[in-house]
Amino acid sequence: MAPAIEFDNVSKKFRRGESHDSLRDLIPAIARGLFRRQPADSLDKEEFWALRNVSFNVERGEALGIVGPNGAGKSTTLKLLTRILKPTTGRCAVRGRVGALIEVAAGFHPDLTGRENVFLQGAIMGMKRAEIAGRFDEIIDFAGVGAFVDTPTKRYSSGMNARLGFSIAAHLRPDVLIIDEVLSVGDMAFQQRCFDRMLDFKQRGIAIVLVSHNLQAVATLCENAIFLANSVKAEGPTADVLDTYVRTTQKLEAPTGGRIVEITSAEFIAGGTPIGAYQEVDSGSQLDLRVSVTSLEPIDDVTFGFLVYRSSDQLLVYNGHIQSRDLGPPDRFMGDFVLDLTFRAHLVRGHYYITLHVLHNPTQDYLVPRRQVATISVHENRSRAGVADVDLKASMIPVADPVESRDVRSAAQPV
Amino acid sequence: MRTLLADYREILTEQSEYRELLFQMTKRDLLVRYKQTIMGFGWAIFMPLVNTAVFSVIFTRVAPLQTPVPYPVFAYCGLWAWNFFASSLRFSVTSLTSNANLVSKVYFPREIFPLSAIFVCLVDFAVGSLVLIAFMLWYHIPAGVQLLWLPVVLAVHLVFTVAIALVLSMANLFYRDVKYLFEIVITVWMFATSVVYPIDRMGGKLGALLRLNPMTPIIDAYRSIILLNAPPPSSLVSAAVVACIALAAAWLLFHRSEFAFAESI
Repeated sequence: MAPAIEFDNVSKKFRRGESHDSLRDLIPAIARGLFRRQPADSLDKEEFWALRNVSFNVERGEALGIVGPNGAGKSTTLKLLTRILKPTTGRCAVRGRVGALIEVAAGFHPDLTGRENVFLQGAIMGMKRAEIAGRFDEIIDFAGVGAFVDTPTKRYSSGMNARLGFSIAAHLRPDVLIIDEVLSVGDMAFQQRCFDRMLDFKQRGIAIVLVSHNLQAVATLCENAIFLANSVKAEGPTADVLDTYVRTTQKLEAPTGGRIVEITSAEFIAGGTPIGAYQEVDSGSQLDLRVSVTSLEPIDDVTFGFLVYRSSDQLLVYNGHIQSRDLGPPDRFMGDFVLDLTFRAHLVRGHYYITLHVLHNPTQDYLVPRRQVATISVHENRSRAGVADVDLKASMIPVADPVESRDVRSAAQPV
Repeated sequence: MRTLLADYREILTEQSEYRELLFQMTKRDLLVRYKQTIMGFGWAIFMPLVNTAVFSVIFTRVAPLQTPVPYPVFAYCGLWAWNFFASSLRFSVTSLTSNANLVSKVYFPREIFPLSAIFVCLVDFAVGSLVLIAFMLWYHIPAGVQLLWLPVVLAVHLVFTVAIALVLSMANLFYRDVKYLFEIVITVWMFATSVVYPIDRMGGKLGALLRLNPMTPIIDAYRSIILLNAPPPSSLVSAAVVACIALAAAWLLFHRSEFAFAESI
């Protein structure tokens, strides 16, 4: 059986700015078009490639994650999959009914009631009337707007709107499901329900494409992923692709110059030699980070800030401060010197990045504003979720004499 | 030729697949249209009535006109049919651009927008027919067997309206000039059609030019079959041919440009 989604060598070009907005601009544009035929494969000076030679397949029951920085062509890919756009070159084939969890409330009319909007939005998504009617109660229940079905949606909170929209989409029976960051909808309980729904879809053999900046969600739902930056930079098992993505996009930012104090580089050290700003380690391992600093004036009474964030959701997992006066006498450091930091990665598996900043204590000025300097990828396989590796251990010991313990309990009962 | 047929087949399958959406969109527009108004559907008959009154004063008092039936019912019948055409187009012109949010974010056949605009106006048209019946009762004009032509006349009318609506909605998406130009053209067009006066007796080059206008036979046909109990004029045949060719061409053009809508809107 052919794959549910085939994206074959697809390119899509766009034009910067407006092409021609009114009739006045049309005539010169037509004249140009008559004299110079633009081949599909070359670019006008006003054009750019949003996608270039992108290929991937998604089989039934498979979930593919797409990650990449802003402007990488992720939304364009989704619009090609949902037939809103046509590829400039290449072929994009999607087999079966497409459900898109994108703009799930786009068809809502604010003056219509929740009930009316369910039927309207359902029809927009390609559901038959009888189908919607049959699942109406389920949809309302899932969205949790039961008491407000006959209220115009303009009176809904934005959360209610989004939940209702999502709920309609979630009750469509698609063959292919396309998801764009919808897991950010609603409160935590609702998000969990959505996520369970996605897993359920997947088990029923629906092909899923998930675009998300939430790497945690991608890692949980998808077995394969692609790293997109206008073309495919990496593809394969999700863990490997996320590694590549995190490593390539989170490099040391260049110093801006003109400051009294600069962090010129930061690298991990192993056995006395620098090994780069990215490390893969097992949870609990020790890491040595060497930070090179240049100062035009003597370093006196500053704070070095050392912060660790989780890449997937920017969660601050550690905020540590080091006082310069604890490191040595004041006025000692000027010119080039290094700051050696040692820490242990007691973290659950995932990607984390480290930022440094330098704060002048008397004035509270940032001599060096917070800057991302290094990235780590932590491996461990005991946790299901969470942040800190608490080094959970377990043992099972049989209770010595179960008969005795029962006797104790019956003896304790009042007579 | 084969791709042409494939395109038409695609158009038809898409329409049958999404026919429920067309119904839902029409319902939406109807529900929303007269929300928070006191007159409600009264607005659907108010405009042609005011126009009828104005033209009745002009053509019975200022410049009296010979008409086969009393002038007010002559004028109302013309305005009623013309208004369906004109207001369908007026809503269609902006139907894609005012739904930009949907056009750029969700896929479904984009014909739904102009078509639902037309169906909403068709409901107004039906409401307006009640007033026509009232006029006929007042002037004791009996309806005859020729009224059986009504579905045919309505079909030609509808086909021509859809053809123009598809082109206009699409043109306005690419060039917003269209909606301004439309207002001018539709006014001129009304006076070039036998809406408030008969123009069949006009001779010369201008008369020949006006006979190319397919709307004149359509409006005349309504009058003949409803008010005069006479068969539609033979020119309705050529109007029907023009309307069908226009629809086939317009729909193909619309279908083939559809993919560029999301990028250009």
